Amino acid sequence: MRPKPVDLLIILAALVVIAMSSMAVYSGNSATLRAVITGSGGEWVFPLGADRRIPVNGPLGTTWVEIHGKQVHVTDSPCLNKTCIASGDISAAGQWLACLPNRVFVRIEGGAADERSVDAGAF
Amino acid sequence: MNGLSTQGPSEARWRDKADIVALLGAFCFFLSAVEYMVPKPLPFMRLGIANLPILLAIDLLPLPWFLLLAVVKVVGMSVVSGSLFSYIALFSLSGTMVAAMVMWGSRKLLGHQVSAIGVSILGAMTSNAAQILLASVLVFGEAARLIAPPFLAMGLLTGAVLGVFAERFSRTSIWFARASGSHDA
Repeated sequence: MRPKPVDLLIILAALVVIAMSSMAVYSGNSATLRAVITGSGGEWVFPLGADRRIPVNGPLGTTWVEIHGKQVHVTDSPCLNKTCIASGDISAAGQWLACLPNRVFVRIEGGAADERSVDAGAF
Repeated sequence: MNGLSTQGPSEARWRDKADIVALLGAFCFFLSAVEYMVPKPLPFMRLGIANLPILLAIDLLPLPWFLLLAVVKVVGMSVVSGSLFSYIALFSLSGTMVAAMVMWGSRKLLGHQVSAIGVSILGAMTSNAAQILLASVLVFGEAARLIAPPFLAMGLLTGAVLGVFAERFSRTSIWFARASGSHDA
């Protein structure tokens, strides 16, 4: 059994989609990293440089996010499966932590706000 | 199922379809349980093995029965994971239904120019794309784009593996040969 030509075309198309989404997400200046936390109450931005513990309220209760040593992780969350805690530390631009049941999303962004969009000239 | 002599051919065929949906639906339930048992390399990643019966059903069932099986799979997945009455079930519903229709469409459009491998990858990619889209609308907003690269890459991988298995199975299974024969009849 071997893949047919159309199968290979589909695989190629999938790879292109993955490559394009990766470029859109991971390219960016990582000089000044910050954690962007989205909860049901809104969105907050914290620099990674300063250690702190942040309570984020969601429909299930409070998810605790900790910034420690330029790394971000979820220390506690009222959700059932705790995948957000199991995700561990994130520290690079484009990385994220999510608690779907409690609707909390933590992501790391890099660079100045006006450098967030990618243009063709950057390559 | 051997039809009774009093049955008309149309009723026997209806029962054939119902039997296939019931059998493959039960497999969806079982594989959903297996899915949740397997530890994941990354949170939110799914193997998608519960999609295997759907992949096999493309050549066995007409569209309404096929979509019914997809709904059975969504219910099975949500019952097993305990998310049936939460908005999380919407993710399963949207991903599965979009993928089912794309897989069905690609098979009918391309016929046997495409194997189960290509169909499976298309399904996995569209399922994950639909769920990322839903996550951006419902929960995470624009930040959902960050989920896209690992999610889509995982879709390509698991879709390919599942497709290879389905292709092999459909070529060697006597049950599958019989079931597809009853559809053509």
